[in-house]
Amino acid sequence: MARQPIKLKDEDKVFGNLDGSGDWSLKGYKKRRGYVGYKKVMKMPRTKIIDTIKASALRGRGGAGFPTGLKWSFMPEPSADKPNYLVCNADEGEPGTCKDRDILRYDPHTLVEGMAIGCKALGAKVGYIYVRGEYYDESSRLQLAIDEAYKAGLLGKNIQGTGVDVDLYLHLGAGAYICGEETALLESLEGKKGQPRLKPPFPAGFGLYGCPTTINNVETLAQVSAIMRNGVEWWTKFGRPNNHGTKIFSVSGSVKKPGNYEAPMSIPMKTLIEKYAGGVIGGWDNLQAVIPGGSSTPMLNAKQASEVLMDFDDLRELGTGLGTAAVIVMNKEVDLLAVMTRISAFYKHESCGQCTPCREGVGWVYGLMERLSRGEGSKEELDHLFAITKKIEGKTICAFADGAMWPVQGTLKHFKHLFEERIKQNKKRTKKSA
Amino acid sequence: MSDNTITLSVDGQEVEVTRGSTVLDACKKLEIEVPHFCFHKRLSIAGNCRMCLVEIEGGPPKPAASCAMPAGDGMVVHTNSKMVVDARKGTMEFLLINHPLDCPICDQGGECDLQDMAVGYGSDVSHYVEGKRAVEDKDIGEKIKTVMTRCIHCMRCVRFATEVAGIEEFGATGRGSHVKVGTYVKHALRSELSGNMIDLCPVGALTSKPYAFVARPWELERTPAVDVMDGLGSLIEVHHRAGKVMRIVPRECDAVNEEWISDTARFSYDALTHERLTAPLLKKGRKQEGASWEKAFDAVKRALKGKETVAALAGARHSAEDLYAFNALMKETIETPHVDSRAENMLLDATNRSSYIMNSAVSGLDEADVILLVGCDPRLEMPVLNARIRRNALKRNVAVASIGTPLNLTYDVEDLGANPDVLTKLATARSGFAKTLKNAKKPMIIVGVQALSTCKDSLAIIAAAQTLAEKVGAVTPHWNGFNMLHQHMGLVAALDMGVVPAPKGMHTGQIKKALQAGKVDVLFVYGDTDITPEEMAKAKYSIYLGTHDTALSQQANVVLPTAAYTEKSALWANTEGRVLEAQKAVNPPLNAKEDWKIFRALSAHLGEALPFDTLEQLRGKIVEQNAVYASVAEHTLPEWSVVKSKMKVSSKKLDASVAQFYLNNSFLRASAAMHRIQAESDAPETELRRVG
Repeated sequence: MARQPIKLKDEDKVFGNLDGSGDWSLKGYKKRRGYVGYKKVMKMPRTKIIDTIKASALRGRGGAGFPTGLKWSFMPEPSADKPNYLVCNADEGEPGTCKDRDILRYDPHTLVEGMAIGCKALGAKVGYIYVRGEYYDESSRLQLAIDEAYKAGLLGKNIQGTGVDVDLYLHLGAGAYICGEETALLESLEGKKGQPRLKPPFPAGFGLYGCPTTINNVETLAQVSAIMRNGVEWWTKFGRPNNHGTKIFSVSGSVKKPGNYEAPMSIPMKTLIEKYAGGVIGGWDNLQAVIPGGSSTPMLNAKQASEVLMDFDDLRELGTGLGTAAVIVMNKEVDLLAVMTRISAFYKHESCGQCTPCREGVGWVYGLMERLSRGEGSKEELDHLFAITKKIEGKTICAFADGAMWPVQGTLKHFKHLFEERIKQNKKRTKKSA
Repeated sequence: MSDNTITLSVDGQEVEVTRGSTVLDACKKLEIEVPHFCFHKRLSIAGNCRMCLVEIEGGPPKPAASCAMPAGDGMVVHTNSKMVVDARKGTMEFLLINHPLDCPICDQGGECDLQDMAVGYGSDVSHYVEGKRAVEDKDIGEKIKTVMTRCIHCMRCVRFATEVAGIEEFGATGRGSHVKVGTYVKHALRSELSGNMIDLCPVGALTSKPYAFVARPWELERTPAVDVMDGLGSLIEVHHRAGKVMRIVPRECDAVNEEWISDTARFSYDALTHERLTAPLLKKGRKQEGASWEKAFDAVKRALKGKETVAALAGARHSAEDLYAFNALMKETIETPHVDSRAENMLLDATNRSSYIMNSAVSGLDEADVILLVGCDPRLEMPVLNARIRRNALKRNVAVASIGTPLNLTYDVEDLGANPDVLTKLATARSGFAKTLKNAKKPMIIVGVQALSTCKDSLAIIAAAQTLAEKVGAVTPHWNGFNMLHQHMGLVAALDMGVVPAPKGMHTGQIKKALQAGKVDVLFVYGDTDITPEEMAKAKYSIYLGTHDTALSQQANVVLPTAAYTEKSALWANTEGRVLEAQKAVNPPLNAKEDWKIFRALSAHLGEALPFDTLEQLRGKIVEQNAVYASVAEHTLPEWSVVKSKMKVSSKKLDASVAQFYLNNSFLRASAAMHRIQAESDAPETELRRVG
């Protein structure tokens, strides 16, 4: 990997107004070179756009990291009886993640432009943006941006005389985490109960209202506009092969300056925490653990955190993932078991209840975490807990249950000794009182 | 191997299945058992129980749900590998952690999928030591008892309600371990088919309310029978213990009822022991008193002696044997021509079978491309049939239109107005629905028999509908799209057996007039007929034959108690003219007798015994009368002709509305359960919507 700058130059940032200090509106976005070359892109054949995205090796920013260009190439040519749809997943709910929120409120036009290009590339005349219900203010801002774009002739029928029609609709969810799962999102968008669908069929063949549909994350679509504007070469300057581009990292927890930072991919985690987020409270040596990509990804211990690069492949090698790139830093003052128990409680609350292992099992896991983190239980139960997570993982319709089990498995992998200490202490305590 | 089949291997055995089949289909074809809860062949695939997991080689390193996984060419499937066995054990454990395990007090015990699978695929121990979840029971009416803590969330009931029954008020609320199944707002289920959810529920969450704590499945004897609460003749199984019917459940039959029955068929069996006539009765003064059969027959003999006008009316829900014997007794022994089985005005032509049966058969609905309903409300006249129309309207986009008062059938119906002359207009019109009808390859016209009973021009309406069928090409050598829908069971068999006036005999309307004029000397009333107690009182002497104590039986000078439908081996003819055989499940109560035996004995008492002594001999006679009865369970297409009517179609509106579905015949009115269910269905919505 060629040496890359630690900090991005302003012109290399996809999100010029991520901190909200500038002008979010169309005027401000245009100043930041927004919609430059838009007309040209809208005139391109759709395969050319897809090929460019393929060449950029852009990978989905919503968590799974699936190559966006490949995903787009699954879409069939639009037919008369079944239109193609593009759906933007703005149901940002992964604990620790807040990047889409700042895109929606501070740089909404990046998404609007990306959606329009995406619609063109996929042969979709209509795009839906499914925004998390709690993001009311943010969705209002996005709607203003969409209205601006319509007024400026950047959306609607026959955009700037190119013959391309794109209409964007915004839909607010009702606050269920599971609606961030793409097929549950489609169900919810159709007005049904948000529960993941069985796959196959996949959305590219049978998606929204049974029509071919592609679902992309907010950040992914927003980056598409920058890639089309600045070119593949610019994009591949950043990050390692297969992990190119820039990325927003939401850093939170025991750091001096928590926040959203756009940085080049494959940046070392230590650099990210120290140079962007002001460093760990109490110094790097005070670091206990880091959750690298939102609550679903297994945590890393301090040693791993000092060496790992923030990209899909390097994190995967350590048995975790980049996820949504929500870095949750925990120093030694943090009660790690309490944090993980709280995360388990979140998953218990958010399981949609469709599949047996998830509906019944996630609650059971939470119960055990809650009890064992207080030291009530035995060492054997720690093994049972691990066995239960294995009975749930991979047995359900969607990946929710996997995401709920990985953090528990990660805790047991790196911090089993914490449980054991508490169990020991608890035994001593009960002996004394008896 | 053709293009349409694929080959895959399951547990080392090769199997060929059609493209589009699932892995579970392939396993079933090989008779390899794959346990499952949520999958049901007549419902959509949910894939949520995670019990049918199998291992597929070369796929992702996790098991796949076989019910939802499309079978692929060359796929290698394992149903018993370690991965699969462990996954099943895991799922079983999860299902049981919050299940109350209250089998000893659960009505599902002994026929519970969860029990069976726990034994077959579960583990013997669980590490679960936390508290169990409890769920409040829902009050969803008088049909279904709920114990929602037992629910395993397979959603079969919810899928049945939305897909088959067509009610959208039953679903799941909440998330995760708080998912609850029920009506969103507290009220009774508004479906005529809801009892089927009891059969679908794999656990004891939904059980039959009238059957609660009544019997255990292993104590029950099971007898195949036919439901007679509507004209469909759904195949049922009568479950009885020590001579008493304990419950009624459906049998599978793709051609007739698939595997559903209506709630009237399921829950009305308590009428078998309520208000029954259990011994012959003789009127003395104003009171009826019990008598021996001998004395009752003597009384009938005396009454008939030297009398000129003897009339006989047969009602609904009689078997072919009983009707044949009744007809023979009247026409041969007593020698009266005044015999009829049709309601006043409903002058169906007994010599033209194609004019009074459902020629396309019920299964024809699955082929039809357009359906025209004429004066019928299938939802209340034949709920199971309506579910079939609904499926075709929804899944195959079959256009449905209706002539008659507007209906709520749970699917979209084009309203063509209530005037029967629309039939003649459709035959000549070229646009709108007439065009759809003409362009159709297999159109079906379904005429409701019941609505015709209020129309003086009933025969003209039938003729008009038949003419329309001919004009739109609904009558071909392979397809006959003209159909009659019989709300009540029995009339088809009556017409088949010729229970209509002999030459110079009076039909029902004329008999009624003769009664009013005081010209009927002796009147036989056999069951639930069109006649009123007031009209019956005008006869100089009346004899009632039937199963229940009713306003009619109370008018009679002599009452002869007969056997109900579960109490005799019999041949029934349903609305399609299909002959269905039922076995005798229990004995008639006390001194009541099987109907045909009564007629045979009475004929001997009157001095001219009918020429059959056994059921076999009687069935021989029936086949002589109508050859269709030789082929039980088959549907045969009769010779086609259009009935002749001197009348013109009037403009009187066709009204198919059924006032009280759960009480629409005398048998149902004797059931306490039916009265409770009717009362809750009559209650205004506001009263039921107590939030609780």
